[in-house]
Order: sequence, then structure tokens, then C-alpha cells
Amino acid sequence: MYVAMQPWPACAGAAAPRRPSGPVRVSADDPAHPRLIRAVAERADRQAFATLFAYYAPRVKAYLQRTGSRADQAEELAQEVLLTVWHKAPQYDPARATAAAWVFAIARNRRIDSLRRDRVAPAEPDPTEMPAAPEPADALLAADQQAQRLHAALAGLPADQSEALRLAFFEERSHSEMETALGVPLGTVKSRLRLAMAKLRLALRDDA
Amino acid sequence: MITHHPVDATLVAAAAGTLPAPHLRVLAVHLAHCPACAGALRAAEAVGGGLLADLPPAPLRADALDRALARLDDPAPLPEPASVTPAVTLAGLATGRWRRITPWIAMMALSPRDTTDSRLDLIRVRPGAALLSHGHTGLETTCVLQGAFDDGTAQYGVGDFAEGDPALDHQPRALPGETCVCLIATTGALRPHGWFGRMVRPMIGM
Ligand SMILES: [Zn+2]
Repeated sequence: MYVAMQPWPACAGAAAPRRPSGPVRVSADDPAHPRLIRAVAERADRQAFATLFAYYAPRVKAYLQRTGSRADQAEELAQEVLLTVWHKAPQYDPARATAAAWVFAIARNRRIDSLRRDRVAPAEPDPTEMPAAPEPADALLAADQQAQRLHAALAGLPADQSEALRLAFFEERSHSEMETALGVPLGTVKSRLRLAMAKLRLALRDDA
Repeated sequence: MITHHPVDATLVAAAAGTLPAPHLRVLAVHLAHCPACAGALRAAEAVGGGLLADLPPAPLRADALDRALARLDDPAPLPEPASVTPAVTLAGLATGRWRRITPWIAMMALSPRDTTDSRLDLIRVRPGAALLSHGHTGLETTCVLQGAFDDGTAQYGVGDFAEGDPALDHQPRALPGETCVCLIATTGALRPHGWFGRMVRPMIGM
């Protein structure tokens, strides 16, 4: 069981859901997304796409609204993000990213592009984006299991660390503004992020 | 050997998409030298994915899926930027003109101040020469491309990443040896100290 494998205790009241550690899907709304992306890439599988859409489009829309898009903009951008998932599926590399991380990066880049339309700065290439190499089937499974370990680890973070992470990812704020939002000094925000990331990196390791 | 790395808050900002583009360019130079930080950035993106998965879903228009399915056979909505990788070497970056600031210091503007009030420059300092003693009004990130410098507390060589926030005052000095060249991103204005800084500041447009 995943939770028992975590090296730190889950918070009371925020305990991670129990998840099986077997090779199959863990719940109805958390299917093996890396395999679905692969099905889109290899067979242009529309059913697989529809499943990915049902899961990610509402979350991408929520992400875009949290980071400042109006509802109608967020709806349209979420469409474009999921269409990008369809087109870029062959580039998804499960050895480098969980499915959710890959979709998140697409949504993040789309958000930055939409902000930049009226900017003078040229579009920046994404330093994290690399062409994917073919991978063995167990990389798909590993990416899925990694996402599950991460999910449990996120649920086990102390509330202050999890709050600092959420502000960093979902509010368009500088760190000095985060300082104000959290009511703690900048050094404290940074150290919460550092503590959180140290735990989460551990959870992401394949031997975790 | 790389001894100076970005703090997690900076990697998280890069993953979240809130780190201004010029700082992202400086970070890309460090990542090209530092597999550990490249891995840490991927981990931060995984965290972004995990948080995305945990978000309460927003209701979509009733026809959202049908609209998407109807558009699947259209051309890709965006041009593919994936094959472009940012320049991370001195030769790749130094495509503009050096402007001499003092007999010992030259700068090359790579991108002008953007909407986040951030800009990107190369700075070239003769060995042994001091840069102006300065603080910042915003984040400053630096990565060494050639030579080395000492900021008064530590030494930085090729690939090392230095970051300062508004609280930090420092006086970097190029170490003896090769001419020191750094990629530097600054948000907000420098706050140079002393008469020399006040004299130089209008010249470098900061
Ligand atoms: Zn590093």
C-alpha cells in the first residue's frame, strides 16, 4: 500500500486515500493516463482522448481560472490545451514526466502564450521540452505509479507547506506577494517550499 | 564543478510559469550544466501536475467534448516550438554588440525590459576588476559562462547560478584568469552604491 511506504506520516484529517500498488488503474477517475496518451499517439484512439478530456479539461479550466482567465477564455484555452494533447501525444515521454505533469506543462505554456500575445518579448522556447524517445512499456506503468506516490505525498504534506505550493502554482504572485498572502516572511515561504519539494522529490524517485 | 544552484522557490516558479522569461534563460544555462537541477525542475513540474489533478474540476460547456472531437482532424492549433532549444553557450548567446561601460566592463543587451520589468544581458569583466557594488529592487539571477567571479562571500565558476533578492547587497569581482562573462537577468532596477555606481547607472540604462 502506498501510504505505508511514505517516510513521513500523513496529517490527521488530510490522510492520503488508500491506493492499491498493483499495475492496474487505481480508481474510476484516476485511470492509467500514460497508457491513454500512448493509445492516442499510436492509434489516434478517440475513446482514449475522450477519457483524457473528461478528466483534464475541467481541471485545466479550473487552473486557468485560478491564474486569472475569465470563464469563457478558460473554456477556450482548455479546448486548445486538450487539442494540443491530441497532437503532441507522440512526444509524451513517460520516462520524463507523469501524465498530469505533461498536461500541466502544456496548460502552463498555453497560459503564458496567451499572456504574451500583446507583449514585446519574443516567445521563449521551453527549456524543459525535449523530443521523446520510444520507451519500454513499463515506463508507462512507472509514470502512473509515480503519479500515485506523488498524490499520496501531496496529501501528506503539512498544511503550511501545501498552502505555499498551491500559492506558488495557482496564484500569479511574486514571492514577496506570497509573503503578504501567507502572513510570513519571504525566508519562511522559501523554506516551506524547500521542505515540501524535498519530500515530494523523494516520493517521485522510482525506488521510493 | 558546480557548487551554486537555484533555490527550490526559483525552480518552483519556473515550473509554475511565474518566473520571468529572462530568468528562465539564465536558469536554462545552469540546467545545461547541472543534471541534478534539471531533475529537480522535472520534479517541480510533476508537483504542478499533481496539484492540477487535485483541483476541483470546473464545469464545462455541455458541448465541450463534442467541440473538441469535431476539431481533432484540424491542423494543430499552435506551431510546434519543441525543436527550438534556448542558447546556453557563450557563442550561442553573444549575437549582439558589446557596449563598453568602463575600460574593464562591457555589456550586451539580449532582451529589453519586458512587461515583468525584467531584462537579459551579457556582462564581460576583465580579470581582477570589480563590478559596481549594487543591490536590487527585484530578483537578479546570474550564470557564469566563462571565467569566474567572487561576490564577497563565495566563488562562482562556469555553470554556477547566483541569485539575489532585494535584501542582498554585493560587490562581485572577476577572478584572475580568463575574462569573466556572465548571463544576467534583472527584475526592477539595480541600486548602485556610491558615486561610481551613480555615475555608471545612466550609462548602462539600468
Ligand atoms: Zn544545479
